[in-house]
Amino acid sequence: MKLFILLKTATTALRVNLLRSFLTMLGIIIGVAAVIIMVAMGAGAQQKVDEQIKSLGGNVFFVTGSFRASGGARASSVVKINEDDANLIEKQVPGVESAAPYLSANGQVIYGNLNWSTEISGIDNRYFVVRDWPIATGREFSTQEINSGAKVAIIGERIRQELFGVSEALGQTIRVKNFNVTVVGVLAAKGQDARGEDQDDVLFLPIKTVRNKITGIDSTNPKSVRFIQVSAYDGEDMDYIETEMTRLLRQRMRIPVNGDDMFRIRNVSEMIATRAETMQVFNTLLAWVASVSLVVGGIGIMNIMLVSVTERTREIGLRMAVGAKPADILTQFLIESIVLCGLGGAIGVVIAYLFVFLGNNYGIGAGGVIDSDVVLLSLGFSAFIGVFFGYYPALKASRLEPIDALRYE
Amino acid sequence: MSAALIKVSQAKKVYQMGEERVFALKGVDLEIQQGEFVAIMGSSGSGKSTMMNLLGCLDIASEGSIALDGIELANLTKNELATIRNQRIGFVFQQFNLLPRTTALDNVTLPLLYSQVPESHWSARAKQCLEKVGLGNRLYHHPSQLSGGQQQRVAIARALVNEPVMILADEPTGALDTQTGLEVMALFQQLNQQGKTIILVTHEPDIAEFASRKLTFRDGALIADERNPQPRLASDGLGQ
Ligand SMILES: Nc1ncnc2c1ncn2[C@@H]1O[C@H](COP(=O)(O)OP(=O)(O)OP(=O)(O)O)[C@@H](O)[C@H]1O
Ligand SMILES: [Mg+2]
Repeated sequence: MKLFILLKTATTALRVNLLRSFLTMLGIIIGVAAVIIMVAMGAGAQQKVDEQIKSLGGNVFFVTGSFRASGGARASSVVKINEDDANLIEKQVPGVESAAPYLSANGQVIYGNLNWSTEISGIDNRYFVVRDWPIATGREFSTQEINSGAKVAIIGERIRQELFGVSEALGQTIRVKNFNVTVVGVLAAKGQDARGEDQDDVLFLPIKTVRNKITGIDSTNPKSVRFIQVSAYDGEDMDYIETEMTRLLRQRMRIPVNGDDMFRIRNVSEMIATRAETMQVFNTLLAWVASVSLVVGGIGIMNIMLVSVTERTREIGLRMAVGAKPADILTQFLIESIVLCGLGGAIGVVIAYLFVFLGNNYGIGAGGVIDSDVVLLSLGFSAFIGVFFGYYPALKASRLEPIDALRYE
Repeated sequence: MSAALIKVSQAKKVYQMGEERVFALKGVDLEIQQGEFVAIMGSSGSGKSTMMNLLGCLDIASEGSIALDGIELANLTKNELATIRNQRIGFVFQQFNLLPRTTALDNVTLPLLYSQVPESHWSARAKQCLEKVGLGNRLYHHPSQLSGGQQQRVAIARALVNEPVMILADEPTGALDTQTGLEVMALFQQLNQQGKTIILVTHEPDIAEFASRKLTFRDGALIADERNPQPRLASDGLGQ
């Protein structure tokens, strides 16, 4: 009803000075777009972190050897942990689901005339438990294959694609370095890891196969591995498990009470989460900076509304002469300011969507996730700015005396 | 005789200009009956516009009383004054005061925006008023696309749209040539015949001839109040 007339009046007034209206809106457009984009980036980063933690297989520790320290000076040799450590952790530390030894080397994989350079990892089936990584087709290694160091392979989805494409991978023989292995399993796709590397670009062999055929046997520590990946059951106290593992390993390595650890235990989900938190703080800060620009935009609105009221004093006088009450004039200018802000907000939302869409699909900037709550909040906030900064000019207009307004030059 | 439409007694208007006080009206007594056609004359600065603004509830008297239909204006709030302007008074200004970039129809609709008339009637009413002033074929023209006379007629249609009891016109022919001025006066006479009270300010004695009563102001005082029982007909002039 009357609202439609008011909106029509407002848009007519704004159209008269199209460029000026647009420039005024620009502050709001930029502010709203910036707030939404910043929050979207934050949400996107958070989502990525969550995915990474999940793809890691939940509550996971990495146990690696570290430099042997003697008298404060760093010695050259690196202590290596081994398969027995893994077995012991799995058996003796309460709350541990599984502890998987891991050995790796880089190398070429050849199938027919195709070759692919990848990470060749030696593991046993526990690794799939720890990583929470199902086999898509085929099977795990058999106990016999693991114990004997058989020439069998389980491959990641990426390698399957690169070497086999649409044809069947299972049962095929591929050449790894200088020996042939048979593909017995293909893993489910897992995507990128925390560092953005493709986790599906892997080839798994029984750990013994890798040790015998590729890395060679360390004479001082024949069962050494690069690291042990330990998974805890859901809901277990990760700190407690870490303490227990530390105690166990120190005991095994016979480290004196005041001696330094010769190994490192890292709780990876925690590391990622901590890093994410810092990022989040930064993002929140940016979102606040963006909202400040929204307020600055609001001041621009107020400025232009004041100009508009002055310019249209005679119009105000005329409207009063034909019966407009102060409240009518107030409403008219408030609506004009709200339309200005609301429209700016809407354009800002569209720009934010466009920006995030382009970012997500064409790789400009980090991925973003737009939350509809944030959109509504920004729109609401810009409308509020319209009311807040439009109120004073509108009030000023409504307080004019009809005769003064009519006579204004 | 029935109660006067307008009753002014000892109305004064004083403007404070810094130290100096300007007496625009120095105590005017006046009664105007419904259906009269009053012309206000006087030299520049004599207080004609000031008087009109007081009668039109655009301004309030510094002293004295002005009653419209028995209602004392001095006691009213801003909102009540706005309602009176909306319902009972139609204004016609020298400079037309139409909203630019707005169609004739929308300009005429303006007073309805602030009235109680239901929106469904607006358009028909506005059209009817434009037809009455002979602009039925110019509904969607903007002021810039109309001649001065046509613009003034749009303004008169706007003044009529809320069916006011009186029309106040401050030098309505001041910006028009003689011929167009005559057209406008003919229109006023026609409206007066239909019962509208019309009060207009003019500098031209010729124009005042069309009114049935002539008030003369000098230095903020009403100095002459003459009846003209046989006003000239503006339409006669038009025929030639
Ligand atoms: N807002 C104002 N502030 C101060 N003085 C004013 C104001 N309005 C009018 N006056 C003074 O009041 C006096 C009467 O003015 P008014 O406008 O009524 O004259 P007028 O008879 O309409 O003249 P004109 O024929 O030139 O329109 C003048 O001396 C004028 O200077
Ligand atoms: Mg005047």
